[in-house]
Amino acid sequence: MSAVPTTTPVPAAPRQWRDGELAVLLLLPIALINAIGFILPVLNLARYSFNKSRVGGGIEAVFTWENWAGLLSDPFYLELVFNSVWISLAITLTTLVVSYPIALYLHRASGAWRTFLTVLVISPLLTSAVVRTYGWIAILVDDGPVVGAIKALGLPAPSLMFNIKGVFIGLTEILMPYMILALMAGFGRLDPRVEEAARTLGATPSRTFMKVILPLTLPGIALGCLLCFVLAVSSFITPKLMGGGRVFLLATEIYDQAIVTLNWPLASTLSILVLIVFGAALWAYSAVLRRLD
Amino acid sequence: MTSAPEEHLRLEGIGVSFGAVNVIPALDLSVRKGEMVAFLGPSGCGKTTTLRIIAGLNKPSRGRIMVGGRDITRLPIHDRDMGMVFQSYALFPHMNVTRNVAFGLQMRNIPSRDAESRAAQALDMVQLGHLAHRKPKELSGGQQQRVALARALVIEPSILLLDEPLSNLDAKLRDEMRVQIRALQQQSGITAVFVTHDQVEALSMCDRVVVMRGGRVEQFGTPTEVYERPATAFVANFVGRTNRLKGAITAEGTLTAAGHQLRSATTLPPGAVEILVRPHRIRIDDAAETANRVKGAVSGITFIGDLVQYAVRVGDAEVVVEEATRRDRSALAVGDTVTLGWSAEDTLVYPAGEQ
Repeated sequence: MSAVPTTTPVPAAPRQWRDGELAVLLLLPIALINAIGFILPVLNLARYSFNKSRVGGGIEAVFTWENWAGLLSDPFYLELVFNSVWISLAITLTTLVVSYPIALYLHRASGAWRTFLTVLVISPLLTSAVVRTYGWIAILVDDGPVVGAIKALGLPAPSLMFNIKGVFIGLTEILMPYMILALMAGFGRLDPRVEEAARTLGATPSRTFMKVILPLTLPGIALGCLLCFVLAVSSFITPKLMGGGRVFLLATEIYDQAIVTLNWPLASTLSILVLIVFGAALWAYSAVLRRLD
Repeated sequence: MTSAPEEHLRLEGIGVSFGAVNVIPALDLSVRKGEMVAFLGPSGCGKTTTLRIIAGLNKPSRGRIMVGGRDITRLPIHDRDMGMVFQSYALFPHMNVTRNVAFGLQMRNIPSRDAESRAAQALDMVQLGHLAHRKPKELSGGQQQRVALARALVIEPSILLLDEPLSNLDAKLRDEMRVQIRALQQQSGITAVFVTHDQVEALSMCDRVVVMRGGRVEQFGTPTEVYERPATAFVANFVGRTNRLKGAITAEGTLTAAGHQLRSATTLPPGAVEILVRPHRIRIDDAAETANRVKGAVSGITFIGDLVQYAVRVGDAEVVVEEATRRDRSALAVGDTVTLGWSAEDTLVYPAGEQ
């Protein structure tokens, strides 16, 4: 009874956050997740790439340039990097060419028809790439329907499976939904009235495409290409299964080094190399966007 | 203006159907060279569809489009030589103002130096020469609309098509643009078709007005004809404001409404009728107006500034009367009894239930 307060306590006013404090607070969770889930492992990879590997999978924690020097002086790896980048670029371009008309049509479609088609585009993403890859293998194998049809026409049938052709076809189809969605996201500035204006001003359909539609869809094209290139370089299951062990790309090689040979320092070095390739792609993308603006 | 204006654009039985629905049954229209014609009507009346058919952006289900005696019905859009101004301006966002205006010339394979100097002239014409290097997004709505106009005019098209070009502008800018578009059209002597739902635009800018409803032409005439002698009750209601009274014509041919006998210049067979009188054609307590005189009680007064609106109860009907404000008018008050008078010519009579 002796400690009865003489005045009723005034409730503390709710704390006023300053803008900076609030921003830090809101960004903190994602920053933490990113630091633990991404930055730390990448730094770890970078560290491994300067460590020495021991037979049987051991890692000796000493600093050495051995992995990098070996990698950069070995023609096999240089060709691997070159092939991976070149094939991924070719796949990206093919995906773009086959996806662009679909995206353009979808952009112009409306109502239930558009919804239906969009679901159709997205639905492959709901199926595992492994399943879809096996599907392609069944279609493209030497005694499969595609080769059979070409033979029935009396043409010399190429072998489409367990070589780079199969990987090319499979990856292109697997990447198409990503490309279509990225293109559609970038088609926002494409107003049908603007196309009509070009037509009334005397532009033929092909000139309307070259002078108006294509320039206005370039941001979407850049985004789609970046996304598909990155996915193509890092794709592993499809080249592994459809290449039949005969197609060597960066991602499959990293898998082999990490899981089969157990040479983690070399796998890490290759991984960092992939990151450098991605960095270059990102730089090219932002350079394109700057020019478009 | 030539003494005998020749026909330039002709629509012959143009029709549009979507499945079993006849959006436009059959439209016939003849536009003279150098005249500006308005398509006026409520939304969904088919005016924009008709304009787009002329441009080639929509295909008619039937009928022919003739320009200068040539059938262009099957001509692709890019060969039609029409300058179109869109409601949303539809400028090319990736090109600067000069490149936008020069686009049509470039498509006609005119060397780029010529094209640019002609584009610059066109921009001067709409007083935008100083903004030649801006991108469309850096311009105001009115400026964008003027660029669109320059872009359509620079190709010296055979017909200028304007699709609600002023409806995205604010009121003051709209007034300015109305005058400017009309001046440019008359300077260049170009045939123009102007789609609008705004009767003021149609009446003030155009040589003739096509009033449309439900894909049909209700009336085609000069602004004065459409306003003074509306062909249908719909036209009278849509163009300008009117009082609507229910009335009847007796077997003897007498016109009655609200318990009064009225006189009209039009004669109709006996039956129920609708009587329309424009508010500003009615005089209050004016002994000179003798054709129609009815007594009523003032039930409301609205002062607008240059106008005063009186609501007058006549029998079971309410009649709105508009009068220019005058200092010599002894102030009327609600409840005052007044005599309304108007001429027989201003009594528009239509069969009831027409719309």
